[in-house]
Amino acid sequence: MLNARMMIAKTLMAGTLVLIAAAANAQCRSFAKNKCVPELAPYKFNESFNAAQLAPGEEAEVNLTFYSGQEYRVMVCTHPILGEVNWKLVDLNNKIVFESLADSPKHVFDLKAANTVQMKAVVWVPGTGTSDMVHVGCVAVLVGFKE
Amino acid sequence: MIAMRMNPWLVSMAVATFLTACGGDPPAQDALNIDQAQDSTAKADRMAQTKKIFFNIPSPMETAALLKKTGAQYNGKILNDVNKVDSYTAASQQALNLGVYGADLSYASVFNHTQESMFYTSCSRKLADRLGVISAFNDSTLELMQSKMNDRDALLDIISETYWNVDAYLKENGRDNISALMIAGGWVEGLYIATQVSTTNDSPELRQRIAEQKLSLSDLNGLLDSYELDDARLNGVKEDLHALQALFAEVQVASGDATMTEENGVAVIGGTSPSATLTDAQLASIREKAATIRNSYIN
Repeated sequence: MLNARMMIAKTLMAGTLVLIAAAANAQCRSFAKNKCVPELAPYKFNESFNAAQLAPGEEAEVNLTFYSGQEYRVMVCTHPILGEVNWKLVDLNNKIVFESLADSPKHVFDLKAANTVQMKAVVWVPGTGTSDMVHVGCVAVLVGFKE
Repeated sequence: MIAMRMNPWLVSMAVATFLTACGGDPPAQDALNIDQAQDSTAKADRMAQTKKIFFNIPSPMETAALLKKTGAQYNGKILNDVNKVDSYTAASQQALNLGVYGADLSYASVFNHTQESMFYTSCSRKLADRLGVISAFNDSTLELMQSKMNDRDALLDIISETYWNVDAYLKENGRDNISALMIAGGWVEGLYIATQVSTTNDSPELRQRIAEQKLSLSDLNGLLDSYELDDARLNGVKEDLHALQALFAEVQVASGDATMTEENGVAVIGGTSPSATLTDAQLASIREKAATIRNSYIN
C-alpha cells in the first residue's frame, strides 16, 4: 500500500516537473518573442530559438555560421531579473572577435561576413557573490540576417 | 534546441515558481530566498552543471534566401506534389513532410511565386492540423497570409513567425521528436532543392552554398543526437543524415582564424581559408543521396 502511494506520488511529481519545465520554457519563448525579436529589426530573425533559463554562474553557447556576403545582427537578450550578462563571439580557435562585459554591456553586434565563417557565441551570467537571493532568468541568443 | 540538465536545486526552485504563480502577486520570474546552509551545496551543484548547448540550424527561409542570392532560377517542378498531402497518415511522416512543405513554401515565397506559396501554405496547414498544432497555425494565420499575398516582405515575416510558433508549440508540449523531424525534413528539402537546381543552374556560388551545408549538417546532427529518444523514425533520420555527412567529409569548408576589419562602422568578418567548393563527383554524390533520402520521406 505504501509502495503504491509512493509510486503515485513519484508519478505525480514527475508529471509536475515536466509541466514546470514546459512552463519555464514557454515563459522564455514568450519573453524572447515579445521583447527580443522586435529589437532585431531591420534584420530578419533566422527563426532559430536559442534561449534558456540561466542562473548566476551558468554558461550557454551556440555555434553560429555566417555566410559570405550576408549581413547579420547577433543579439543577446536577458530578462531584467538577471541583470546584465557577459558574452563574446569567438572563432574556431577561441580567438575573441567581440566581447561585451556586464559592466559595459552591448546587446547587439552587427557584422558583415566577407567569407563564410563559423563562430561560437558564449554567454555567461556573473556570479552573485554572497547574496542570499538567487535569480534565474531567460537568456536568448538571437540572430537576424538581411535578405 | 536546448540541451538542458535539471538538478535538484533548479527543480525545487521551479516548483516554488510554479506554485506561487497562481497567487495574486506579480509573477516573480524567478527570485527565491534560499536557506544559507542548503545554499552552499546548491551553489556547488549549480556551478558543476554542464553548460547549455544550442544548435543553430538555418531556417528554410534563410536557406532559400541564400539560394536566391546565387542567381539560381526558380523551378517549381522539383517541389513536393501538393496532392500527396493526404497520403501522410503517420505522425512521423506528417512531421517530416511539414518540414518539406515548409521548405517548399519558403522557396516559393522567397522567389515570389505567390500562388505556389498559397498551395504550400495550405499543405503545411493541413499537416500542422493533423499533428495537433492548430493553435500555432490556424485559419487566422491563413487569412492573414492571404491578405498579404501581394506584400512579399510581410508574407515572409508571417511564414517565419508561423514556423517558429509551430516549432515552439511542439517543444513546449514535449513533442521534441516531432519538432526534430520537422526541422530535419525542412533541411533535407533545402539541400534537395539546391542540388536539383544545380543541374540546370550550376555556378561556383551555388556549389559554395551547397558545400557549406556541411556546417549546418554538423549542427543538425548535433541537435538530433541530443535527443535520446526511443523513436525508430528519428533514429532512421539520424542514420540518413550521418550517411550524408560521410559524403561531405572530404569537402573543405571554413576553418582557422577569423579576421576583423571595419567598413562604414560595421564589422567585417573574414576568414583565412578559401571559399568552400565541390568537385563534380562530390556534387553528384550529394545530389543523389539527398534525392534518395528526400524521396523516401515524401513517398
